[in-house]
Amino acid sequence: MNFTTLAFNGLSDALAASAAEVVREVQRSLVALHNGRHGVGAGMIWRKDAEGAYILTNNHVVAQGRSLRASLENGAVFPARLIAEDVEVDLALLHIETQDPPTITLADSRDLHVGQYVLAIGHPWGQRGVVTAGLISSLSKAHTRGPRGEIEIIRSDARLAPGNSGGPLVNAWGAVIGVNTLIVGGDQGIALPSHIADEFVNLALSQPTSKGD
Amino acid sequence: MSSEQNLLAALSDAMVEAVARAGDSVVLVDARRRFPASGIAYSSELALTADHVVEREDDIYIQLADGSRKSASLVGRDPGADLALLRVSGGGLTAAEPALEPARVGQLVLALGRPTEEGIQASLGVVSAVGGPARTGRGGLLEKFLRTDTIPYPGFSGGPLIDAAGRVLGLNTSGLAPGGMALTLPTQLAWQTAEALARHGRVRRGYLGIRSQPVMIPAAQQRSLGREQETGLLLIGVEEDSPAASGGLLIGDILVGLAGEPIIDPDQLLSRLAGSLVGQSVMVEILRGGQPMTIQVTIGERK
Repeated sequence: MNFTTLAFNGLSDALAASAAEVVREVQRSLVALHNGRHGVGAGMIWRKDAEGAYILTNNHVVAQGRSLRASLENGAVFPARLIAEDVEVDLALLHIETQDPPTITLADSRDLHVGQYVLAIGHPWGQRGVVTAGLISSLSKAHTRGPRGEIEIIRSDARLAPGNSGGPLVNAWGAVIGVNTLIVGGDQGIALPSHIADEFVNLALSQPTSKGD
Repeated sequence: MSSEQNLLAALSDAMVEAVARAGDSVVLVDARRRFPASGIAYSSELALTADHVVEREDDIYIQLADGSRKSASLVGRDPGADLALLRVSGGGLTAAEPALEPARVGQLVLALGRPTEEGIQASLGVVSAVGGPARTGRGGLLEKFLRTDTIPYPGFSGGPLIDAAGRVLGLNTSGLAPGGMALTLPTQLAWQTAEALARHGRVRRGYLGIRSQPVMIPAAQQRSLGREQETGLLLIGVEEDSPAASGGLLIGDILVGLAGEPIIDPDQLLSRLAGSLVGQSVMVEILRGGQPMTIQVTIGERK
């Protein structure tokens, strides 16, 4: 083995170790959602309270689901209750009863840059915990059919597939910058910035009347 | 984890930096009916882009990284290489920095574009292959080209492929290969063409006025040639009043060298003529009746 190979392997190993550490961290708060009808959607444990965990996902993942079930990374499966939904940005908040769940680390998605390394984690085609990588390709806006009129979106070149929906897009530190969604214009590779998702969660949790069964 | 401990974060920071640095030299090119495409600042007042995105020669606009919109005029085109050079009124461009070394297979690269007013766009990948020479779908001969696995987003044609330091490795275009497959013209070729367009308003291509086909050269004739050269070009046509005719080339001659370099196939002749030989008197090396000869020919310009 010559020196160049050694140097490359060293760099490559160090990068792989960094990536593996980030992925492990993110996967702890990753959820697989079954809506009793079709396929598997992704979600993540956004917050926790004394009784359990609040799971954020795409609204289309839970839409019309009769019996929502959430399975965590450790294999435990819980019935999930729909807390709030926002069709305009395709988000839903669920609640499960569990003790001390691992929550995501949130990044400030108002401060993003084109070129930032990103990882998408989800369950494309039903396969659990699949990781794809890329970068932030563009930061732009998309029209919505609702009161917001327009929202910021993140486009990445990480490969996404059905089953990534509702899953996290994280930065190189493993902090969540967006929620992957396939809904905007049928386009792949779009994520909703995490600050928009966090606003939705704040609103949902500040309005107890919106808590449905 | 800080960037010092997390190599992935260090890579991320480096890519952001490369995009920011090179992005200053990437311009929006508005010269067609559909959505705009991209261009690279070649100098403070010249921008290089893909020829196929310049559909009109009037009302061309470019937009800089700082958002300022400027009118531009067409300096010249090289449809064969799918390149066009624009002059931006008022200048103010930040010239791109060419990479010092040619791109290598496996190298980490970013494709950049600025097809919208919302800012720079990027895609990550590696150099998948270095190819060429190849005939382009547009009648040119591409000495060398790069293929990458970056995503060619709409409007990326004319934008740069950059290395991890933000230096330009080439110009991306989906207008050269059949089916709109994206290729990258290496910086060296693109810059050469830009220089020719800036100087002459066109890329001059040499013209001999012959039709030819490759033939094997028998061993005995190779010996009389004094070198191992297995093929040459048999002249099967010489146009009247052409540089070849004026120089005295005849049907049946086998062309084996031009301006001191062996010619073994038509692509090599085309590539040699694409250079700077126009107007020059050069030695054409032939085999006539099995005997080596040299004939002086003044290279014309292909119109």
